[in-house]
Amino acid sequence: MARSENDIAIVGFAQMKPERRSQHTETEMLLPVVNDVIAQCGITKSDVDFTVSGSCDYLSGQAFSFVQNVDAYGAWPPIRESHVEMDGAWALYEAYVELLQGHLDIALAAGVGKNSNSDPSTLYTIEFDPYYLTPLGADPWSLAALQARALLDSGKASERDFAEVVAANRARGKSNPNAQVTGDYSVDDLLSAEYVRNPLRKHDLPPVSDGCAAVILARGKRAYDLCENPAWITGIDHRIEAHLPTMRRDITVSESTKLAAKGAGVDKDPIDVAEIYAPFSFQELIIRDALGLSDKTEINPSGGSLVANPVMVSGLTRVGEAAKQIMNNGKKRTLAHATSGPCLQQNIVCVLEGDK
Amino acid sequence: MTDTHESVFNLTFPFSRTLGSTLSTFFSALAQGQIIGVRTGGRVIAPPLEYDPNTGADSGTDYVKVGPKGTVSTWTWVPNPTHLHPLNTPFAFAFITLDGADTPMIHMVEVESESQLQSGLRVEARLKAPGDCQGRIDDIISFVPATDPSPSAGAGEPYTPPAELEITEMDSYCDLNYVDNASPSTILWMNALMQGKMIGQRCPSCTRVYVGPRGLCCVCAVEMDESHLIDVTDSGVVTNFTVITPVQYHGQTETEPFARCSILLDGTDAVMAQQSILDVPASEVRVGMRVKCEWVPEGERNVDDIDNRGRGSGGGCIRGWVTTGEPDEPAENFIERMM
Repeated sequence: MARSENDIAIVGFAQMKPERRSQHTETEMLLPVVNDVIAQCGITKSDVDFTVSGSCDYLSGQAFSFVQNVDAYGAWPPIRESHVEMDGAWALYEAYVELLQGHLDIALAAGVGKNSNSDPSTLYTIEFDPYYLTPLGADPWSLAALQARALLDSGKASERDFAEVVAANRARGKSNPNAQVTGDYSVDDLLSAEYVRNPLRKHDLPPVSDGCAAVILARGKRAYDLCENPAWITGIDHRIEAHLPTMRRDITVSESTKLAAKGAGVDKDPIDVAEIYAPFSFQELIIRDALGLSDKTEINPSGGSLVANPVMVSGLTRVGEAAKQIMNNGKKRTLAHATSGPCLQQNIVCVLEGDK
Repeated sequence: MTDTHESVFNLTFPFSRTLGSTLSTFFSALAQGQIIGVRTGGRVIAPPLEYDPNTGADSGTDYVKVGPKGTVSTWTWVPNPTHLHPLNTPFAFAFITLDGADTPMIHMVEVESESQLQSGLRVEARLKAPGDCQGRIDDIISFVPATDPSPSAGAGEPYTPPAELEITEMDSYCDLNYVDNASPSTILWMNALMQGKMIGQRCPSCTRVYVGPRGLCCVCAVEMDESHLIDVTDSGVVTNFTVITPVQYHGQTETEPFARCSILLDGTDAVMAQQSILDVPASEVRVGMRVKCEWVPEGERNVDDIDNRGRGSGGGCIRGWVTTGEPDEPAENFIERMM
């Protein structure tokens, strides 16, 4: 299909190999990745018209760390820059909207998170409702486990299904050089582990990862200067539900993902590959159901976020991996999903297409 | 010489949150032993919200008595409570729909073991004594299995709040622990300071010299490492300053107005920030003043306070800076340098 000057493509993707504990600050992690993605596209930093990142100061515990991270872009002379306190996938959405306005041609979207400085079971208590949840120390593992138990009680899935998601992703992760936790695991062995939060075992939880990722987007025919096979964003939508999980009609389905998938046009043509951001194993089952994918769609060839989960990065990595399938692997139509908030509160669905 | 360094810090700060009319009504009723919800959009939400999350409409004031008994619809087990959980022995989190309510709440259930938990379990609230209530959701201590599973008496009846609400604010504390590890460039700086040396990194692209090492040039976006290190002198010029009148917050040791200066070491391009001048009163500090580092004697130095967050901090290795008595430096010698 001929592309117009209003079409936006992903033309480059780079990531740091996620680590359990990086020796570097967020800024130091980010700089080589930014330089890598710019070099891939054959441009220099002065060609980038707009830069936006996603990160969270509470992760490293350093106020205004997102401002220091600007040092990774070489922001002199001063650059156009923005920041979201969200996963980099939402930064990508902002970059996409910025380019759609038609004044700028090239944007860089990044995500960075130094997760190893803090304990996820305590840190994220402060992102929840400050009146009814935070004073209880309601932690993300517990909230996810409440959703998992409801899914089991609904009869739609079993604990064995959860373990199968883990085994499949860790096995696929073996061929991903950027995976952190990979290997061949027997479902029976996984099921013999202790619960961390019944019915979730340690392997149902995401690993703790430090990392970052960056993509370059380009508008219209400029995309072909930067990439032989641009991954065109033909649909992108994000939807949010009520913050308190108790206010959702049915916590075992993801209405926001269903609507975002419809908005992004997922069902218009078959999807070759889908990269799903399900931080907890069972959430992949909920998202797969909501996306309405056929059995022919390959799910998470990268191993997804169960093999590496740098928070603030993992969603953008899904988009980058889905784009790579078009840019490097000749796939025709791929999908990336990203989530944020307790119990899959909000979800982005992005459909990418190649020219071939 | 060290090659790893971790700093542990605790992020603590208090909040006093105003509760607004709906939550003040809820917490004031709770302090009287009554749990309430609000009827809005054809259903009873308990605990009440100011708005209907489906529509965003004001929930209004159609308050309804709910509980104290309710039914568990989903649950999980917390075998090792953290310092942020109000209970310090293993407990369950659960969705509990109180009698008279249509939506569940998240709260804690206390049972001997997780084997006693199941969807449909009837539970009953344990409340703090009225005088102990603080306007927090943990004024409900927890839920326990109901001794009598029959419906709660009075649930669903209208609730009329008193004219004056007893509780209108809640206190809460952010209390988070971090373990940061010093980056390679911070460790180079620590080791130099322990030896009584000032060091910097010279950008291979623009030749700017940064004190202390930053691991990168923020103008050129170029990585720097040990190969870019250079020794620099420990004397320089005050390029800027501010005089601070101390507020006696926790940890403040200064009692009189004091100056904090930016100091540019000779031959470098990025200042050391937040430095103190030891031999001149705050009122006499001026831009252009020549200064020299006063080191803590070898053997008494430490880098306990140095981490990735304070570039150019001298930690427990330098006492501060003293004037050299040389003539002031003209501004053209230090303009267009970096923070």
